[in-house]
Amino acid sequence: MKRKRYIFLSVLLCAPIWGSVIALAQSTQNAALAPPVVVSPADKAAIETFDKQVKDYIELRNKAKETAPKLSKESTPEQIQAYKTALTLSLRNARANAKRGEFFRPETADFIRRTLKIEFQGKDRQELRDQIFETETQGVVLRVNHPYAQSAELSEMPATLLTKLPKLPKDLRYRFVGKNMLLVDRESDLILDYMPEALP
Amino acid sequence: MRRIHIHHLLFAFLVSAILLIPATAQKLNDHSTAAANNRASGPLKLTLPNKEGSVRFAVIGDTGSGTNKQRDVGDMMIKYHSLFPFEFVLMMGDNMYGGEAPQDFEKKFAEPYRALLNNKVKFYATLGNHDQALQVNYTNFNMDGKEYYRFKKDNVAFYSLNSNYMEKKQVKWLEDELARETAEWKVCFFHHPPYSSAKKHGSDGQLREVLEPIFLKYGVKLVLTGHDHVYERIKPQKGVYYFVSGAGGKLRTGDIDGNTGLSEKSYDRDLHFMLFEAAGDEMYFQAISRTGETIDSGVINRK
Repeated sequence: MKRKRYIFLSVLLCAPIWGSVIALAQSTQNAALAPPVVVSPADKAAIETFDKQVKDYIELRNKAKETAPKLSKESTPEQIQAYKTALTLSLRNARANAKRGEFFRPETADFIRRTLKIEFQGKDRQELRDQIFETETQGVVLRVNHPYAQSAELSEMPATLLTKLPKLPKDLRYRFVGKNMLLVDRESDLILDYMPEALP
Repeated sequence: MRRIHIHHLLFAFLVSAILLIPATAQKLNDHSTAAANNRASGPLKLTLPNKEGSVRFAVIGDTGSGTNKQRDVGDMMIKYHSLFPFEFVLMMGDNMYGGEAPQDFEKKFAEPYRALLNNKVKFYATLGNHDQALQVNYTNFNMDGKEYYRFKKDNVAFYSLNSNYMEKKQVKWLEDELARETAEWKVCFFHHPPYSSAKKHGSDGQLREVLEPIFLKYGVKLVLTGHDHVYERIKPQKGVYYFVSGAGGKLRTGDIDGNTGLSEKSYDRDLHFMLFEAAGDEMYFQAISRTGETIDSGVINRK
């Protein structure tokens, strides 16, 4: 009876220590890589269509950029503002009739949703989800051809996910707002398209 | 019955001791720092050797609040500059919170650091999660129009990365540059911390997953970050020294979790900035609070 009590006490005393050790190990270990996404022929076709849309946008963007004042790497805040204002106005006018789903067509959206599901599955990816959901995005109005709110944070895009999504040219970016995934123009911050409830 | 009571008391005492010792140590640490802070109006104290020919720089992070306290940090930096004439300042991102109109650049950057700018001190910025892309073109951020870039000062190479968007292209650029790097010291700086004990954000595991193997492969010894609004010197991780310096303009008081086991030294009671001095194989550092008190100092050996 006495021996059992000592064993019980020992287990109780050790529990917090082992708990701390396990928690520490979990906090410092590298998260395991998510499994690769299987890309079917249908997915390849969807990605090609997406790439074509992106390419067409970049052509349109290059034309719009010609109307904006030139920006150097040694610009003043006034020059930056003038450039951004002109580029934004020009792009909005050029895409006045833009609608949701022009980039994220159903087939492309389906591939991206599957990619996100694989990337975010598993307990070890909970940290990724937390990171995205903790981003303060109040003020962002999800509307195509409207700017991302200046006061809102930008979600960090997980590096491991970016290697699996269709590649983008330097002037376009993926971004999360809660569970929604956006495609935005890097310099003007215009929302080009978005997928509601993209994150599982 | 009496024996059971003694066991209960003994048990309760031991459990309390185990649980409370780390928390008490942290509290004592905090109180000693707070007490030190209250004394912080005396003469400035430089712990760096200030050797001739060394590379001298400062570090600030999460600065762009435009508050009086941010200006206090700027004022303290210029005071230390008179003792330790650092040539440039690395900015850890979140250079501007909220709007980025010309008046914001003035209020949240130029005005707080006016005296340093007038003394020809250069600033090298990195982008945080509150920063807009076009900051890379701002003349005083010296980003060369790029979201990630490299520059070198004597035997120290600096790599500014965009941790908001760590795409494959950027990772490849970093690897290629590091592979041909000839500088003895390789320093990387970016916004999100691979290791952090702060409760608000904490360690960025997915970023660490991608970057840490590169740091180890190419001998990056020093990694500077922000994002969490605290000061923290992480215990060396696989030989790499990580700092979180994210309270140059915003503070999250009491945000350090004392139980992560990561922290060598932490401070979350006031804003701060850092000074560094690379002299041969030694990299000296000093963390200084808004009011001028030294909150941490030491030396990193490259070998």
